Amino acid sequence: MTDEMLGIILAGGQGTRLGKLTKDTAKPAVPFGGRYRIIDFTLSNCANSGVNTVGVITQYQPLELNAHIGNGASWGLDDSSGGVTVLQPYSSTEGEKFFEGTAHAIYQNIEYIDQHHPKYLLVLSGDHIYKMDYAAMLAYHKAKKAALTVGVIPVTKEEAKRFGMMNTDETDRIIEFEEKPVHPKSDKASMGIYIFNWPTLRDYLVKSYATDKSLEDFGKNVIPAYLTHNESVYAYAFEGYWRDVGTIQSLWQANMEFLSPHNRLNIGDQHWRIYSKAQVLPPMFLTATSQVNDAMIVDSCYVAGEINHSILSQRVSVGMGSRIVDSMIMSGATIGKNVVIDHALVGEDAIIGDDATVKGTTADIAVVGYHETVGVQQP
Amino acid sequence: MKRGSVSAIVNLVEPWAALEPLTTQRPVGTLPFGGRYRLLDFPLSSATNAGIQNVMVAAPRSGRSVMDHLRSGRDWNLDSIRGGLFMYPYNDLQLVSVEKKATLLHHYYDNAMLFLKRSQSEYTVVMGTRNVSNIDLRALTRYHEERDNPITTVYKSIDPNTLAPDHTILQLTAKGMATAVVPADKAKLKKTAKTVAKNLGIYLLSTVDLIDILQEANRRGVLISLEELMMQAVMQQNANAFEYTGFYANIHDVSSYYAANMAILDETNFRALFYSSRQIYTKVKNEVPTFFAQGSQFRASLCGTGGYIEGQVEHSVIFRNVLINRDSQIKDAVIMQGTRIGAGTQIENAVIDKNVVIGPNLVLKGQPNQPLVIRKGAHIFKQTEVVASD
Repeated sequence: MTDEMLGIILAGGQGTRLGKLTKDTAKPAVPFGGRYRIIDFTLSNCANSGVNTVGVITQYQPLELNAHIGNGASWGLDDSSGGVTVLQPYSSTEGEKFFEGTAHAIYQNIEYIDQHHPKYLLVLSGDHIYKMDYAAMLAYHKAKKAALTVGVIPVTKEEAKRFGMMNTDETDRIIEFEEKPVHPKSDKASMGIYIFNWPTLRDYLVKSYATDKSLEDFGKNVIPAYLTHNESVYAYAFEGYWRDVGTIQSLWQANMEFLSPHNRLNIGDQHWRIYSKAQVLPPMFLTATSQVNDAMIVDSCYVAGEINHSILSQRVSVGMGSRIVDSMIMSGATIGKNVVIDHALVGEDAIIGDDATVKGTTADIAVVGYHETVGVQQP
Repeated sequence: MKRGSVSAIVNLVEPWAALEPLTTQRPVGTLPFGGRYRLLDFPLSSATNAGIQNVMVAAPRSGRSVMDHLRSGRDWNLDSIRGGLFMYPYNDLQLVSVEKKATLLHHYYDNAMLFLKRSQSEYTVVMGTRNVSNIDLRALTRYHEERDNPITTVYKSIDPNTLAPDHTILQLTAKGMATAVVPADKAKLKKTAKTVAKNLGIYLLSTVDLIDILQEANRRGVLISLEELMMQAVMQQNANAFEYTGFYANIHDVSSYYAANMAILDETNFRALFYSSRQIYTKVKNEVPTFFAQGSQFRASLCGTGGYIEGQVEHSVIFRNVLINRDSQIKDAVIMQGTRIGAGTQIENAVIDKNVVIGPNLVLKGQPNQPLVIRKGAHIFKQTEVVASD
């Protein structure tokens, strides 16, 4: 079976800036929006774009991610000829296949990619919240006869200092790449989304790892190498909603935006659904004492308290007299009676005892880790 | 219990006329229940939870709504290479033409017999869908194995005052053996009796015996329903009677359907049915979280995902993907999937079927014992379209 374009999702990053939330899990597996994990957006984009063969490269704490992806059926990616494959580092006669950077991760998985003989390789990161049609990007890549197309998003001068910036000519051909520039020359930030002509990239990687092993990272090494060798590299401008949720602050912010019925992400759009691992749970139960305003709630939640401008994930229970404001509660968290949670992210299966307070501010979001217990007297 | 040693027949050929218009386009077994389930999810989940891998579903008509719901059976773990889900449509004899009946006369149970022979199971459990329960079929099988009678029936002890005329009850001996299944209106109950053994329509017997019963029915050439055959078997052979003590609701008409939905709004019932060690499975859907807008009020109610709630909801069962506009008041109602309620509309004591659109500023009220029913797909924009129920 030949796939015209094979998708690879780089899901190996640790996500250290998410602190407690990624202590035991990979960043793409971090919960989002009540019933999703961050990687669901990228996986659903693949499924909706007709990219039916997807490799998910993992390395750091992959268990939760593996369990979540399963055989890919939840995204319709369980085709007999392709589907989703979780790619773990393994040892071989050439040594262990752990990887150092994004391009090295692709090199370590050349055998998987070769099995599918793709013409084009779509490289994605599993840690962004957005909806994007990769088929349209491929059409652009072909029209430009590019060797590499980089997805870019307009950012402000201030934001540009945190991104890899693409400087282009009037035909959108990339002429220069600057990593985190102090004085940005353009507003086109790399989204970490690439379409490569696979045979070309393969040659570059094989040559590099046979010699100086210099091509470790796409941004730092591969794009500059392509530009030096005068390969045709184009920028593909994306205008929609896109959020990097790599920090506690940005994760909280994106969740709060997700709550708004006017969010540009338009999660309810039936023509571009975001799928997640399907779980069968009883419906939510809101008791006679519940007071719920401006909130998103999902299956198997039990609410006896007050929820204001917040998101509750599956199996969250909130006791009587408790008040949850401007927060996102991850699945399985148990919140006792008369608790106050304000400006917080509460991790999966956390336990907040009666009368406890978890209070952050807009500038400093409070975080309760997975399985963490707050305010309960230990026996 | 070894996997595969028990197979199941879920019989959807059940009386449906008293449930109209809810059953105009679907068998009783695919009636939506409890915010996200269908009635047949309960027997199917019981089968799955007992490790049963061979399940036959007998549908009365084309089974379109049944197949839409069950698909490959995967959501109940019934898409295994060992066994699986077998669907047989067109079993309702009331809908069979005279000519077809003649050809069926000695072949009505051919499919069921083939299923049973191929299942290679030791026992078979036959279940309907109109008695909602969450039964432990492993315990039932153990109970059967420990006793001598060839068939085991299941009952729930209920208050005789709650019996409806079309219920059936088990006549029990002092030793707890069932000697007959009799209709409630013909049963001679002692006036002092505090409880009565309500038949739950679940029968466990050896697969070989069931094949014999079906073969005999085919040979005699009398077209008789599977349910009737099971009741006759109890009468002819005596039966063990297994008492079920969990949540139970019988659904035989619109009022009892409505009452059963209201019953699970009681937290104890809700937990007993859905949060026991035996999970209830259903078709998996991919819905967004339900959004509760500023100014909404949602109390003492169940809700599925994909909803958008702006109005006020109290003591109601709201299914998936329901839109309730601002200033509306919903009380003691069952609102099924995909229905939209206009702004300022008041609904009380009502069952609103799937994909209904109710316009703004209307009043839809039934009685607590006689709910107003709005049929599937109806669009109601004038007060005059709603017939008052009293």
